[in-house]
Amino acid sequence: MFVQAKGIRALAGTSPAVATLAPRGPATAGRIDLLQAVPGLRWLLTRRWFQFAMILPNLVLFLLFLMAGTFGSPVGNRNIIIIFVWILWWFLLISVLVPFLSRAWCIVCPFPFFGEWLQRRALVDVRAVDPKKGKGGPGTIIGRNRYFGWNLRWPKSLTNIWLQNIGFLGLCTFSALFLTRPIVSVGILGALFVIGTVLAVLYRQRAFCNYVCPVSGFLGLYAMASTIEVRSKDADVCAKCKDKGCLAGGERGWGCPWLMYPSKMDRNNYCGLCMECLKTCPYANMTVNLRPFCADTRLKGYDEAWKAFIMLTLALAYSVIYLGPWGFLKDWANIAEKADFTGFLIYAASLWILALLAFPGLYYVAVWLGRRLAGADIAPAKEVFLSFVYPLVPLGLLAWVAFSLPLVLVNGSYILMVVSDPFGWGWDLFGTAQIPWTPVIPDWTPYLQVPLLLVGLAYGLKTGYGHARRLFTARGQPVRAFAPVSVLLTAITVLFLELYLG
Amino acid sequence: MNVGRGAGEGARRLARRLIHQRRGQIVSGMVLLLSLAGFGALGFLVAPTLPKPQERSFTVVARRYGYDPAIIRVNRGDTVRLRFVSEDVVHGFYLEGHDLDVRITPMRSTVEVHRSGHAGEPEVVEEIVFRAEREGKFRYRCSQTCGFMHPFMLGDFVVGPNRLLPTSIGLAVGLLLGGFILMLTKSGPARAMEKDDAA
Repeated sequence: MFVQAKGIRALAGTSPAVATLAPRGPATAGRIDLLQAVPGLRWLLTRRWFQFAMILPNLVLFLLFLMAGTFGSPVGNRNIIIIFVWILWWFLLISVLVPFLSRAWCIVCPFPFFGEWLQRRALVDVRAVDPKKGKGGPGTIIGRNRYFGWNLRWPKSLTNIWLQNIGFLGLCTFSALFLTRPIVSVGILGALFVIGTVLAVLYRQRAFCNYVCPVSGFLGLYAMASTIEVRSKDADVCAKCKDKGCLAGGERGWGCPWLMYPSKMDRNNYCGLCMECLKTCPYANMTVNLRPFCADTRLKGYDEAWKAFIMLTLALAYSVIYLGPWGFLKDWANIAEKADFTGFLIYAASLWILALLAFPGLYYVAVWLGRRLAGADIAPAKEVFLSFVYPLVPLGLLAWVAFSLPLVLVNGSYILMVVSDPFGWGWDLFGTAQIPWTPVIPDWTPYLQVPLLLVGLAYGLKTGYGHARRLFTARGQPVRAFAPVSVLLTAITVLFLELYLG
Repeated sequence: MNVGRGAGEGARRLARRLIHQRRGQIVSGMVLLLSLAGFGALGFLVAPTLPKPQERSFTVVARRYGYDPAIIRVNRGDTVRLRFVSEDVVHGFYLEGHDLDVRITPMRSTVEVHRSGHAGEPEVVEEIVFRAEREGKFRYRCSQTCGFMHPFMLGDFVVGPNRLLPTSIGLAVGLLLGGFILMLTKSGPARAMEKDDAA
């Protein structure tokens, strides 16, 4: 055994999730082990070149986007960066990848690529080292791997997703700029590359992804609802394992870059599906499961709860601004062109107050009322609050899908146009540059949005009732405790229905 | 002998429990379905009855990035007359679900009308007249690239009685109340999750 238990604990101490891990093993009910069910999948996922092969094409594509955004047409719908990133990528991410493949985007995400390369000084290979014998030499030994760069520990006070919450809300306040101007999108995507690289040089492993990346924050939250997970197969095997390769790394792979303790992982939030733990586990005890929708049901901190508030508020605000008929609201958001500073301030302040104070405040009142109605104060207030905020995960995710659907159906024909003419320079590479703007079944969109919102509400109510039963055990208590929140969830759904159909 | 009898007893008890569980699931499903159907139908039925069809005229003013009126409300069967004005640049008026795409040029009282069914040159008219045949909400969008926020320049054309809205609200309320009933009878789908958590 290379690494002492103390070393393992030191590694685990840096993880945002290890400190809050439940002692029980992962639930296996309703799971299908995909590595057993799909021939060849284990072989593929355990190849060392797997992630590099996934990132490389995406990296090339994003570099093309950056070039197109910098040198191409300034008209948004004629430039591939706007159409591919904000129409196609966003739709695929929120409607397909997150609900069905958890954080699969993180497998192919190009932003941490250069930073991780600098950290590891390897694209595919592993730098394994015996910590007892291999002291000295360049770089820093963490677990059983050698890393380069400064390898500082991320500040403990920031080991949460508050930075991601504020960063994402801040970014989204200026959405009218980056959704419509290629050069602004270049600035944002370029900044993600630069920040990801700098932080990887300064801090150990995926500090950028865990604590800073604004996309990562909501991916983590909504990945809880996803239908796949990476988990250990048998908790006893992990308990008896002395190698702890998933955490410490070794010759077969790197220690978890996300600073998780994979063998005890019981939620999807901070698992980037890099598959290193599949490679490093000496007992092949880590696997990829297919599981029911909304299988992770516990939020573990106010930072995650506020992420849920922010995401649902943004879905609502964007539905009003970008799908609503009110031109003056678009003018307020469109600060760079209209220069209506008072309007922008009203819009930005409303958005921030609603997301950070008003909506959470309203929710808090509903939870408080429920506890009063339930009568007994058995469960801790924080646990009740976090448990009852969870229903915003399925509701918010489905609300985002309902919002994104008309964007891709109406603007999808631009995808074919920019494929042939990515820079908007008049090229016609595949003969599709002159395809006219053709909305696809726009008049049927409401019939798709209604079931999406209702499914979100159904899962919200189901998971909320589940928590109410767990927290309030006396007869009639769970119903009374969850009643105000369930009415609020239904009211939110009705508000979306009113916006989309009324 | 005793062991065999014990095993048989256990199997019978397990079978009884499974049947009870399955029955509970079926009852839960029925309750939820009934609640959804009941409240959905209620929503469908509460939609207002339509008045006699009328002729409705609107002048649509287009400017970056909105229309005035932002929302046009008519009833099914109404005859709709639309005139257009652009206050700044060339705009479009693409009405979802109506095969109507209008090009509005500033300082001009006529507009060009494109219909996918009519190939060739666009029709040039001062006013567009059509009957609102389909109920529901249809967005009108700018179809001529007019500036940065062009893809989001839109308005709402709502044709009453628009029963999809009250029906959907009824379904949402049905979910809520069906959930309450299941919770009160303690046979709801949440039971499964509770068991998962306890496992």
